[in-house]
Amino acid sequence: MPLRFEDDFLRKLEYLHVVSRREFAGQNRADRRTPKRGRGIEFADHRAYTPGDDFRLIDWKAYGRLNHLLVRLFDEERDLPIYLILDVSGSMAEPAKFDMARRLAAALCYIGLAHLDRMTLMTFSDGLVQELSPGRGKGRIFRVFEQLEKMDATGTTDLRASCKEFAARPRQTGLAVIISDFLEAEGADIGLKILRTLGHDVFAVHVASRADRDPGALGDVRFVDAETGELREIEVTPRLAEAYGHAWDAHALELQRFCGRYGIGYVRADVDRPFEEIVLKAFRQGRFLA
Amino acid sequence: MITFGAMAGWQAGLLLLAAGGAAAALFLLKVRPPRVRVPSLLFWTKVLDERREQTLWERIRRAVSLAVTVLIAAALALAFVRPVRAARPAAGGRPATRMLIAIDSSWSMLARTRSGETRWQRALAEARRLASGAGPGAEAALATTGDGLIEAPTSDLVVLDAAIDRLTPSGAGSGWPRVPGATVHLITDGATSRPIPPDVVVHSVYEPADNAGITAFDVRPSLDGSSDDVGYVEVSNFGAAQQVHLTISRGAASILDRRVDMGADQLLHEIIRLPRGRAADVRVHVEARRDALALDDDAYAWIADARPLSVAVVGTDTAWLAPWFRANPDVTGTFARPDAYKPGSEDAVIFDRCAPAGSAAKPALYIAPPALPSLGLTAGPVESKPKWTASEPHPILDGVDPLTFSIERARTGRSAALTPVAQSASGTPLVSIGTAPDRPRAVVLSFGPQDSNLAEAAAFPILMGNAVDWLAKASAGGTRRTGRTSFNASIVRVETPDGKDVPLLNLRGNPIATLARPGIYTAQASGGAAAKFAVNVVDPDVSNLTRSALTGKDSTAIAVASGLAARPWWMYLVVVAFAAALAEWWTWLRRITV
Repeated sequence: MPLRFEDDFLRKLEYLHVVSRREFAGQNRADRRTPKRGRGIEFADHRAYTPGDDFRLIDWKAYGRLNHLLVRLFDEERDLPIYLILDVSGSMAEPAKFDMARRLAAALCYIGLAHLDRMTLMTFSDGLVQELSPGRGKGRIFRVFEQLEKMDATGTTDLRASCKEFAARPRQTGLAVIISDFLEAEGADIGLKILRTLGHDVFAVHVASRADRDPGALGDVRFVDAETGELREIEVTPRLAEAYGHAWDAHALELQRFCGRYGIGYVRADVDRPFEEIVLKAFRQGRFLA
Repeated sequence: MITFGAMAGWQAGLLLLAAGGAAAALFLLKVRPPRVRVPSLLFWTKVLDERREQTLWERIRRAVSLAVTVLIAAALALAFVRPVRAARPAAGGRPATRMLIAIDSSWSMLARTRSGETRWQRALAEARRLASGAGPGAEAALATTGDGLIEAPTSDLVVLDAAIDRLTPSGAGSGWPRVPGATVHLITDGATSRPIPPDVVVHSVYEPADNAGITAFDVRPSLDGSSDDVGYVEVSNFGAAQQVHLTISRGAASILDRRVDMGADQLLHEIIRLPRGRAADVRVHVEARRDALALDDDAYAWIADARPLSVAVVGTDTAWLAPWFRANPDVTGTFARPDAYKPGSEDAVIFDRCAPAGSAAKPALYIAPPALPSLGLTAGPVESKPKWTASEPHPILDGVDPLTFSIERARTGRSAALTPVAQSASGTPLVSIGTAPDRPRAVVLSFGPQDSNLAEAAAFPILMGNAVDWLAKASAGGTRRTGRTSFNASIVRVETPDGKDVPLLNLRGNPIATLARPGIYTAQASGGAAAKFAVNVVDPDVSNLTRSALTGKDSTAIAVASGLAARPWWMYLVVVAFAAALAEWWTWLRRITV
């Protein structure tokens, strides 16, 4: 499946922007409010003039009324650091699932670039695999597409180790979006907690396919783990298959509850659903895009 | 002690081990299941860890499947080697060195016992027991009272077993053959009383049984002068009182349907009038709740004269024959000129002083034919005033007085295809017949009405009637009883009611057949003529299953228990294998349905 999007869809994406529930101070000027006061265009407050302040900022109308020299303060508008952390472990190797994950990453990247956010695209399996900072501006999206198309899904999943590796390097706090199937023996909670503790606004995009929930085979079956290559012969009865489905549902529900408990955004991206619907509806309903 | 019909004990054991081992090996080398790549085994591990200890069936299912597979293989292997349980010694506590197993093959042996088997099946089981108990080296011969010796003395159990498998009841018969030095074991129900020498060991398969059956059925011309026939039916209820349902049908039409409450040992007589001109087949059927013998529930009659014979008369001057047709209601004639005649549905044809261009398609009577190329008869010289001096005994000439004929001239032509049955003193054939199997029958008169007083002779109607009957009907001898019966020499084929051939044996020129069940049979004679005849049991000695010669106080007959237990083991082993296969199938099914 090509990662390139239709022009029409790209135009729709340009109307969206990534929502961060907190304000972060970026490095470069952009159109996002920051907690800082500075040289924005949106008035924020007054303060008393102190020598050395820029005369151009003195509010002369206020001086006329109050006979005090006041300086106008503006919101500093800067870019938002967005870290897209994409799971490229073997469990994501199912084509439909991996395509969905990459297209989501591409779409989010495009939205961020279109709003001059500072995008960082990372991939992980049992650790961080790749890191790409495409720059600013939507013209950089093609570099992202190229990188995404080159990616392969191999290796085991270790979100905790990957997040530790992420934390090992000083980074500006921002929005951390993890796109993964979260199929990890140790559980995803520790990794997500690490990102949360680092002060990032964390968002989990749970990519799921029907094959995750339904084994799709009855009778004697040799299952091969896509990540480890482990073989297991199982006599799949309908009851067993049903129990398997329930176990997967419980896993998804537990992940969703965990995210809710720790203020982590959660969106489920089922590969059966149309891609545009997920981006334009599910992400907006999940208050990830606006 | 177990013996094996197909092989020695060690061979059977080896086969058993090999079959069981092969089945187990095949089970363990089962086909590898398909590989399915899944994102993670995480949830499978979780689910199985939670469930594994909970299901007992999951733990034992594989062992059960293996056991069932080995059981199927072992049962089939055992069935193949045909194990036989050696029976008790035949008589006197010591196995005889030679024995004759004689089985009573009378029809009453087909009576069903309380255990569901017939007396015949019980007798066969007893015969197998006796054969297997003869001991090593002992010889056993097999005979039935109906068919005589079936298998000469042999110690080969497989041969004897195969011979027993072939046996079928064939009627009471006259007894059993003598086998020198053999102890005779007679297995009988005693329904047919016969003298039994004191040295014969009698095994009784008798078990009293209630039965309702037809003990008499006959159809005869009415005695009141009408042209109708009259049927006489006798139904007997041997045993406790019960309701008997009697139905009589003629062709597809039902002519009687009665339910009669019959007392114990009561007879029911029914007389039915059967008008001429309707279907020829009549069937009587009885049904009752307690009815141990099915063979006597049906009786049949075939009314040969139910429909008049159809005869085509071909010639240019046939008016002289018309009075004969008018006087004979059993024959209808249609007259045609030689150039207008086409073979139709007629039973026979009379060619009056003419002959067909080719071979006749129907049995034909040729009166003074000019020539018959199809029969190889050419127009020869004429003998004047031939004297009818010699004649062969033949149905055509039955009752024909040759002295009433005054013959002026007769053609002297002969043919190899024709056999003279009446000749003149000089050897001129006066009446000839053709009975070649590949063409219709033919009768040739070498003189005609212009050559003799044929039309006015007193013997003419008899001669004509005989000739037409012989041409159109084969004589099968009327209604017959089930069992072995002989036919006249002209019969070449006998068919059962459902069209199957009955094997014919030729005994001193006469064909003999065994008619195994009631029904309307067909006998075909050479020359294409066919006759139907009815076969019935109608014998109180067969139907009365409450009576036996073996029930007296001084009877020394050995009672034979149910033969079900003595049936060959291989049958049960096959059943066991089938049941085990079903069980395995079920256990396999449980994996995907529970």
